Amino acid sequence: MKSKNYSKKILKVFKKRGFIFSEPDVLLDSNYIIQRSGESFKKLMLTFEDDNGKNMCLRPDLTIASCVKYLEENSKGKSKIYYSGQAYRRSNNSRDSIVNDQLGLEIIGSKNRTLDNKEIINTILKAIKAIKIKKIIVNVGDVSLFRQLIESLRIPERWKLRLIRHFWRPKYFEDLLNRLGTNSDIDPIAIDFDKRRFSKMKKLDQNQEIAGRKISEILSRFDKKISDPRSFTEGKKTAKIIREFLKINNPIDQMEESLKNFLQKYNIKKNVIKNELPIKSLSKSGYKVIFSTNFGRNIEYYTGMVFEISVAKNKQEIARGGRYDNLLKSLGSNKNIFAVGAAINLNNLSRTIK
Amino acid sequence: MKNLFTIGLPSKGRLKESTLNYLKKKNFKLTSKGGDRDYFANLNNLPNVKVIYLHAREIIERLGDGTLDLGISGLDLLYESAVNLQKKIEVKKKLYFGKATLVVAVPNDWIDVQTVADLEEISFYFRDKKNLRLRVATKYPNLTNKFFTTKGVTQYKIVLSLGATETYPFTGSSEVITDITSSGSTLKANNLRVLKDGSILRSQACILASKKSLLDIKKKRIIKLF
Repeated sequence: MKSKNYSKKILKVFKKRGFIFSEPDVLLDSNYIIQRSGESFKKLMLTFEDDNGKNMCLRPDLTIASCVKYLEENSKGKSKIYYSGQAYRRSNNSRDSIVNDQLGLEIIGSKNRTLDNKEIINTILKAIKAIKIKKIIVNVGDVSLFRQLIESLRIPERWKLRLIRHFWRPKYFEDLLNRLGTNSDIDPIAIDFDKRRFSKMKKLDQNQEIAGRKISEILSRFDKKISDPRSFTEGKKTAKIIREFLKINNPIDQMEESLKNFLQKYNIKKNVIKNELPIKSLSKSGYKVIFSTNFGRNIEYYTGMVFEISVAKNKQEIARGGRYDNLLKSLGSNKNIFAVGAAINLNNLSRTIK
Repeated sequence: MKNLFTIGLPSKGRLKESTLNYLKKKNFKLTSKGGDRDYFANLNNLPNVKVIYLHAREIIERLGDGTLDLGISGLDLLYESAVNLQKKIEVKKKLYFGKATLVVAVPNDWIDVQTVADLEEISFYFRDKKNLRLRVATKYPNLTNKFFTTKGVTQYKIVLSLGATETYPFTGSSEVITDITSSGSTLKANNLRVLKDGSILRSQACILASKKSLLDIKKKRIIKLF
């Protein structure tokens, strides 16, 4: 089957399930992306300066481009869209193509999270079935479980935020866990010296700014930091709990049981962790579905369910998706707009069905 | 055989002085027809060698494009240059002068910021509460980006600086800086302090050779003399 043919079949499934075609802009204001992903992502983008000196980029991702469109059109309420187009980004892996053909869908602005999660995952599975790929592996996770676990632990607030912020960067995250378990992040000699400066600064105009930060802001953070020490033993225990949590990995039908056992083992209240995964529907899908707490850590904007589908014989990833409830707000919306989506990667698909 | 071999030397400042001293100790005598302002010189004992005085950054560029066979410049400038340039240059010898460290510095009064982890927290605060990105002024964007990435700092924006970087946090042009310092006194005089774990790179002057020139036996022989 040629690439064009399976595109047709996939799109037919999307349309049949009520998704409406939408073509996001190819050119985006680079700031949209850099504000969200930071300077390090900049080098992966294909950018240029327009005549007015504005930095523009080719859309590195169709999800972001679709969200920008949703906001620019002042859309209200639920929007179920699908797209067929190209995303342009460099990769750290030189074998990857810069141009990626994608067929994807998004549900933006709907509050029924569990139902929407189910609809996205099922539509993608139907589309894959339509092009007759039978043996696939579905990896699924829910990154919100980690956040919920961290919130329930007894560690300083700034450590909670730090761990949550860096969950999606596994290597640096491991460094953080080591630090949490071994040494202090407060230098007693420096603190002593700065305490004297603290008293002096308290007498100054608190609204005065030093390099973009008010004196009151600096002093309040300093105060919080020194009065928020943590014990090494507690830190070590926390690091152990987190590591153990991230080891949970089993077939989807055992997920609830293994989470329950974990919480029991570490005396964490049962109602601390709630998930929105379509567990029943996935268990009955007939495919091999693996749940892992460690899964979904490679894209920053996911906030809940995440999944990836790969072909069983060669482990080639052909589709991925997830929930991204904070993305629209970070792109400029003044309120939280829930969203979930997924895309099939046509380049990988053609590589698989040669 | 005329001007077979070209050497780039720093054209000004302490780096030039120390380089000339080094060459003197090695018994090389430099002469320029046009006096002190002449950008070209010859080495008395090596008639086929031409010396050009260039900006230390330019020496790296010219070694990369093959205009120079040998040069003396800073390790910081080599590592800051584009990867494809670095691939064409070999560090032959690290010299005893030009020692300096590229560091991350913040305003002295930011007493709550002692480590890069603190800075990372502040950068998220800037993004979430002020909807701004923390600005980092630097002459070394590549080394700064690489360092911050490994330390988990992602929410910042580079502001390119051409000089007097130390003033940036106090003129509203950036919040923090990364800069090269040998004693730290300029930073101190400008109310800045180095983060506890904010050392990006220890640099010093080096003898650098074009890898292409090293393949030429005659040129390789001259390179060995330095």
